[in-house]
Amino acid sequence: MKREKVIQSLISIAAVIILLVILNKVLTPFQARIFNLGGIYIILAISMNLINGFVGLFSLGHAGFMAVGAYTSALLTMSREAKEMNFFLEPIVPWLLDVQLPFPIAIIIGGLMAALAAALIGAPVLRLNDDYLAIATLGFSEIIRVIFTNTQSLTNGALGLKGLPYIGVTDSPKEAIWWIWGLVIITIVFMVLLINSTYGRAFKAIREDEIAAEAMGINLFKHKMMAFIIGSFFAGIGGALLGHYMNTIDPLLFRYLLTFNIILIVVLGGIGSITSSVISAIVVTIAQELLRVLDGKMQIGSLIINGVPGTRMVVFSALLMLVILFYQRGLMGTNEFSWSWFKKLPFKTKKAKIS
Amino acid sequence: MKRKLSLLLALVMVLSIIAVGCSQQAPAEQPKEEVIKIGVFEPLTGANAAGGELELEGIKLANKLFPTVLGKKVELVVLDNKSDKVEAANAATRLVDQDKVSVVLGSWGSGLSIAAGAVFKEAGIPAIGTSATNPLVTLNNDYYFRVSFIDPFQGNVMANYAFNEVKVKKVAFIIEKSNDYSVGLAKFFNDAFVELTGDQNAVVYTGYYNTGDQDFTAQLTGIKASGAEAIFAPGNFTESALIMKQAKELGINLPMLGGDTWETPEVIDIAGAAAEGAVFSTFFDSNAKLTPVTTEFLDAYAKEYSGKEPAAVTALGYDAYILALNAIERAGSADPKAIRDAVAVTKDFPGAAGVVSLDENGDAVKSAVIKTIKDGKFTYLTTVEPIKK
Repeated sequence: MKREKVIQSLISIAAVIILLVILNKVLTPFQARIFNLGGIYIILAISMNLINGFVGLFSLGHAGFMAVGAYTSALLTMSREAKEMNFFLEPIVPWLLDVQLPFPIAIIIGGLMAALAAALIGAPVLRLNDDYLAIATLGFSEIIRVIFTNTQSLTNGALGLKGLPYIGVTDSPKEAIWWIWGLVIITIVFMVLLINSTYGRAFKAIREDEIAAEAMGINLFKHKMMAFIIGSFFAGIGGALLGHYMNTIDPLLFRYLLTFNIILIVVLGGIGSITSSVISAIVVTIAQELLRVLDGKMQIGSLIINGVPGTRMVVFSALLMLVILFYQRGLMGTNEFSWSWFKKLPFKTKKAKIS
Repeated sequence: MKRKLSLLLALVMVLSIIAVGCSQQAPAEQPKEEVIKIGVFEPLTGANAAGGELELEGIKLANKLFPTVLGKKVELVVLDNKSDKVEAANAATRLVDQDKVSVVLGSWGSGLSIAAGAVFKEAGIPAIGTSATNPLVTLNNDYYFRVSFIDPFQGNVMANYAFNEVKVKKVAFIIEKSNDYSVGLAKFFNDAFVELTGDQNAVVYTGYYNTGDQDFTAQLTGIKASGAEAIFAPGNFTESALIMKQAKELGINLPMLGGDTWETPEVIDIAGAAAEGAVFSTFFDSNAKLTPVTTEFLDAYAKEYSGKEPAAVTALGYDAYILALNAIERAGSADPKAIRDAVAVTKDFPGAAGVVSLDENGDAVKSAVIKTIKDGKFTYLTTVEPIKK
């Protein structure tokens, strides 16, 4: 049984890689951009789902951790010339001027810095519960943004950074799809293994009932810290990818709105399911572009509707309300994708017919 | 019920994915009359929507006046970038890749322009910025140009005005720290002013605030004690108006200097009498007939939106469009590369908001207008010519 599962997982990873090869050939740059953004959002949604969905900590600090990751990686990979160009108001701190690391190392350091920030903030904050935790983490993420706005010689303040190197080791935008989706696969595999380990079971136990979990001998604080730090690590990596993918970052990018974008993905999909985050991230990213049609002029029969910009966002608001009112578990609830679905499929339809 | 709803939701999502695939092929199959496509990406929703709408007004007005170029119809492809960087880059890619535009106009907000700039550079599509004043927009990007002047020039203009006209030797700053525009303006004001006065400490006090702050007593008390003779406070209009008001309340009667963001009716509404005498630089004024095109623009604007005063950014949107048309004409084709080369050599091009000559970075070298607030109205003071290097 176990071996079967491993083989199935390997097959699915291989299938994804083959799919990527095909997509890389077929997709136009615009489609590839949306597809890659979807990948970045998958990483962000999964990392948030670990904290909010599996451990049940209502944290709103994601944008802050992304900012830490993005700025760290940006400053570590930019060339001396690029830094000198950006820092025309105030020169950059001298010890950072000549630092230039390869991209893979820089994003890992970016993730680690985000994890470090999470460890520092988590120690006092994770003793709080529910709303208090949400407010404290939201505040923290705003504090990070304000700090980055004010450290002119370190982050270039409100001016932001421009000319971040492309994702990858060669200076070409073509590599992005492999790095992003490679990291998506790594993130998914890591999270699946983590969730199915004893730690994962402990996380879920804490989510269901803290007191019962503690009575069973689970160290609440330790496990919460662990999930918080791991989630933030991947948030940092996701933030770094986002920055490099856009070639520019500034503090305004990491407003709390960014956190809510990711919450939208997580809630629509289902809090507490990795599969749902993956599907939801891709669908939401694609739908956001697709629904642009609604912003434009529309003709239904003889009725011409002049487009109102922003109509497409209304769709998401309405969808979110529907989900919260009628289907609080989201698209998938806490279910995960598994091969046994396919085995059950004929049986299930039969049963549905009978009932 | 729930099962059905979930099925419905899943179905909608699957259909949307399929629709993505379909919608891409659809436009390619209909070879209609030949058009030249000009892309516009502006923040039409979100925090910067007001600015984006004003610019779009100017672009649409120009399109109405000049709907054809090279005998072909011009089609505007307008996309909203949601005042969001990620969306700005998406919209830019969409314009370049799907709509296959020849040239792009926009956007309000430097951060959005920078994010999209990387896309335009990669695709080799020229973009003409409207009111993005951060120097980084065009720096190191051969495909981004703009019809507005940049922060360094504006800071310089105000420093000269403070020194030569207001005749002060010591100024105080109040800077909106979270706004790249405010930080940039203050920096270049400082550089120019120190050079003019020859005094390293000509700026006697620098106070900071964040967007959304309400109370500026601390900064103003600092200024009162510092012996400054004028206050330079570029920044968001609401906060700036509050600064003026609170300064008067504290008995500070120093000349207030600012930047183009002050040219918003809210400043007068909020600050009331305290705004009297405030001086700021901006791109355009309907009384300063900068070029013959200004008159043309004003007439058309009055006809289209009667009873409204055109904003400076509307004039800039207008200019971006007519410069794009002019470049297409000079290039003689809709080929983006040819248009880029034509835009790059723009010299003495008369726009509604002044004569545009592009320098080697693609930034417009043009005159600035200085205005003051008098009797509750924005009043034209003078025009400052660009510094020829």
